[in-house]
Amino acid sequence: MPSGAGVPHILRRTPEERRRARRRKSLRKYGLVLLCLSPWIVGFIVFAAVPMALSLYWSFTHYDMLSSPHWVGLDNYKYMLGLGHLKINGIKVAAASHHDPFFWATVRNTLWIIVVGVPLRVLFALVTAMVLTRPKRGVNLYRTFFFMPYMAPIVGATLVFVYLLNPTTGPVNIILTKIGLHPPLWFYDPTWSKPALVMLGLWGIGDAIVIYMAGLLNVPRELYEAIAIEGANAWQRFRNVTLPLVTPVIFFTLVMGIIAGFQYFDQAYIAGNTASGQNSELGSPQNSLLFYGLWLYQQAFRFFHMGYAAALAWVLFAATMAATVALLLTSRRWVYYGGGER
Amino acid sequence: MRRLPLILLLIAALAVLALSTGCGGGTSSSPTPSAAATDKTPVTITVWHPWTNPEKQVFLSAVKGFHAQYPWITVKIVGFPQSDTFDQQLIKAINTGNGPDVAISFGPDYVGQYAASGLWQDLKPYMQASSFSMSQFPAAALSYTSFQGKQVALPVLTDAYGLYYNKDLLAKAGIAGPPKTMSELTADAKKLTVKNPDGTIKIAGFVPLNSWEELGPADLSRSWGATWFDAQGQPHLATDPGWSAALTWQKQLVDWYGYDNITKFFATYGGPSEWDASNAFQTGKVALLFDGEWRTAFIKRYTPKLNYGTAAFPAADDQPALYGVGRVGGTIVGMPKGCSQPQAAWQFMQYVATDTDFLVSLANGLGNVPTTQAAAQSPSLSLPPQFKAFVGVWNNPKSNYSPPLTASGAGYASLLNAFDEQWVAGKVPDLNAGLAKVDKQISDQLAIGSQAP
Repeated sequence: MPSGAGVPHILRRTPEERRRARRRKSLRKYGLVLLCLSPWIVGFIVFAAVPMALSLYWSFTHYDMLSSPHWVGLDNYKYMLGLGHLKINGIKVAAASHHDPFFWATVRNTLWIIVVGVPLRVLFALVTAMVLTRPKRGVNLYRTFFFMPYMAPIVGATLVFVYLLNPTTGPVNIILTKIGLHPPLWFYDPTWSKPALVMLGLWGIGDAIVIYMAGLLNVPRELYEAIAIEGANAWQRFRNVTLPLVTPVIFFTLVMGIIAGFQYFDQAYIAGNTASGQNSELGSPQNSLLFYGLWLYQQAFRFFHMGYAAALAWVLFAATMAATVALLLTSRRWVYYGGGER
Repeated sequence: MRRLPLILLLIAALAVLALSTGCGGGTSSSPTPSAAATDKTPVTITVWHPWTNPEKQVFLSAVKGFHAQYPWITVKIVGFPQSDTFDQQLIKAINTGNGPDVAISFGPDYVGQYAASGLWQDLKPYMQASSFSMSQFPAAALSYTSFQGKQVALPVLTDAYGLYYNKDLLAKAGIAGPPKTMSELTADAKKLTVKNPDGTIKIAGFVPLNSWEELGPADLSRSWGATWFDAQGQPHLATDPGWSAALTWQKQLVDWYGYDNITKFFATYGGPSEWDASNAFQTGKVALLFDGEWRTAFIKRYTPKLNYGTAAFPAADDQPALYGVGRVGGTIVGMPKGCSQPQAAWQFMQYVATDTDFLVSLANGLGNVPTTQAAAQSPSLSLPPQFKAFVGVWNNPKSNYSPPLTASGAGYASLLNAFDEQWVAGKVPDLNAGLAKVDKQISDQLAIGSQAP
C-alpha cells in the first residue's frame, strides 16, 4: 500500500498546512470571543477609555464649556496645590497667590470620612455578622431586617436621617432630651454633621454584613473544636481562628470602603442641601460636608470650570489608586488565605 | 457609604465631548435686522423655556397672543422637565449647533458668561434697527441683562425682594408700622420675639440667618450700600465698610437670640417649609420676613386670611436714601448664537419683553413683577395690594441684581455665604481679617475662570 493511501486528508497535510489550519482555528476561536466581547469592548472604548483620555487632556486646558478648550499646561494642577506659576488674564503670577481656596478643606473632610467611617464600617459589619450567625431560630428574619436598609434609595434614606436627626423635631433628639441629655444639632453643627453621615452609613451596611456572614460561615467548625479542646476562651477563638480566616473579607471591604470614601458624594450633597434649605455649594454647615467629589462636581457643573474639574478628577484617581496599591502591598502581611497563597 | 457614581463622571465627560465637537459651529447666516424688518414670509422659530407645570400652562396660554399679532411667524415652543438644569442643556445645544432661535431662562447668573463667550448675541443691532430702547425698563434691568457693553438679554417679569410683616403680631407688640431703619428692625425683632418657658423661640421677630428663606448677607449689606468690587474690578468686602457694618448688625441679633437657639428655630421651620403651607411666616411663627414677591401668591393659596403687609427692606440708620432699594432679577429672554431666524426671533423677544397684555397675563398667572411701566400700571393687573411694594423696589433706580455678573459666572457669592455661616456661629475672631480672606477666595475663584491662552 503506497504511503499515505487510506490516511485521512488532514493527516496528509504538511507541517506548514497544519500550522495554518491551527492558526485559522485559533483565529476563528478568538474571533468568536471578540465578537461576544464586542459590546463590552465598544462600551469600554466609548464610555470609559475615550472620556478618560479626553478628561486627561482637558485637565491641561482652560475649558469652561462655553468656548473651546485652550492649553494651559500644568496651570490647573498648580492652582490646585498652590505651586509654581500660572497665567491669569495673560499675566504670569505666582500660583501661591491664586490657589483653590477649598482644596485642602475637601481633602481633610474626605480623609475624615475614610479614616473614621471605613474602620467603623468594617468593625460594625463584622460584629453584626458575628451576632447574626449565632441565633438558631428566626435567623433569616434577622438577616432580612439588617439587610433591608441597604435596599433603601440613598436619597430617601438620607432625607429620613435628616428628619430623624432634626435638632428639635427629630425623634432622636426628643428622646435624648427626655433622658436628660443635651443633644447635638447634627446636620446644623460642623462637629456633628460628619458623624451623622457615618451613622447613616452604618445603618445601610447590609451589603457588608452579608459578605462577612458568608466569610464567617465558611470558617471550618473543626478549627473551633480543635481550639476549644486546647481550652481557648471566646476572645482567643476570635483572635486565633475567626479573625485570620475573615481577613480576606476585611481586606475586600477595606478596599471598597476606601474607594467609596474618596468618591463620597450623594449623602453629603442631599443632607447639606436639605438641612440648610439651599443649594449648598460649599458643604453646609460651615464647609464641614464639602467633600472632594462634591467640590469637583461644583467646579464642573456649577462654576463651569471643566478643565480644572478634570484635573481634580485625575488627582482623585491617583490618590485612590495609590491608597489601593498601598493596601494591596500591606495585605501580604496580614491577609490570610485559607487555601494558600494567592 | 456609597460613592459618586462612575456614570456621572462618564456623562460629564460625554457631555463635554459633545460640546467640544460643536464648538465654533452655528453662526448666524441671517439677513440684517433692518432689511428683514418688514418681511412677512412665513417662518417658524423655536423657543426654549424652563417653566414647568403649572407655570408652563400660564406661559403657553399667555403667549398665544403672539400669533395673533404675527400670523406669519409660527412658534415651536419647547419645554424642559427640569428648570434647574435648563441652562446647562441650553449651553450644550448652542455649542453643538442645535440651540433654539430664542431662549427664555431663569438664570441671570449666566448672563455674564453668555455675553463674554458670545453664546448669546448682542441685541444692539436689532434694537437700533427697531428703535427699541432699554429705557422702557427701570435701570435695574440693565444690572442683569447686559455685561461689558453687550445687551444680550431682555427682562420678562422679575422677582423683587422686600419685607413682609404680620400686622396682627405687630399690633399685639404695639408696633405701629414696618421698620424703616436697621435699628428699628433690631428693636422690632426683639419686641416681637416670644420665647417658650424653656427659653427656646416660639415666635421669632426676624431671623437674620443666611438662607432663612431668601435672605443672604449680601441683602443685609445692601442696606448699607455695600458693593462687591472696587473700580478696578477687585473684590473689596474687607475695605467697603458696608460689609462689616451689615455683618456686625447680623451677629448682634444672632447673639441676642443665642446661636444655638436661633439655629434650632431654623432647623424647625427653615429649609423645605419655605415652599409649602407650613411656612413660618404664613403660620405666624415669624413676624418679619425678607422675601420675594411670590410669597403673596403663596399666602393667597395657603393662608388667605393672614393679615400682612409689605414694604421695602429697612436701610441703615445713616443712609435713609437707600430705603426702597432692593434685590431684583428674574426671567430673561435672549437670542442664542446660531439663531436661524433672527428677525422673527427678535419680534418674539420684543413681544414677550414689552407686550402689555402678555406681561399682565403672565404676571397675573405667575405672581411676578411686571417689568414695564405700562404693564405695572395696567388696570387688568389682578395682583394683591401688597404687591405694590415690590413694584416700587423694581422701579427704584438703585435696585440691582446681586451678585454682580462676571465672565466667570456668579458662583463666587457662595464663598461669602459660607463665610457668613462661620461668622454668625462665632468662629471668626476678626471680622475684617475674615472678609479679607473672602476677598482672596473670590479673587482665586475668579482667577481659575479667567485663565488666558
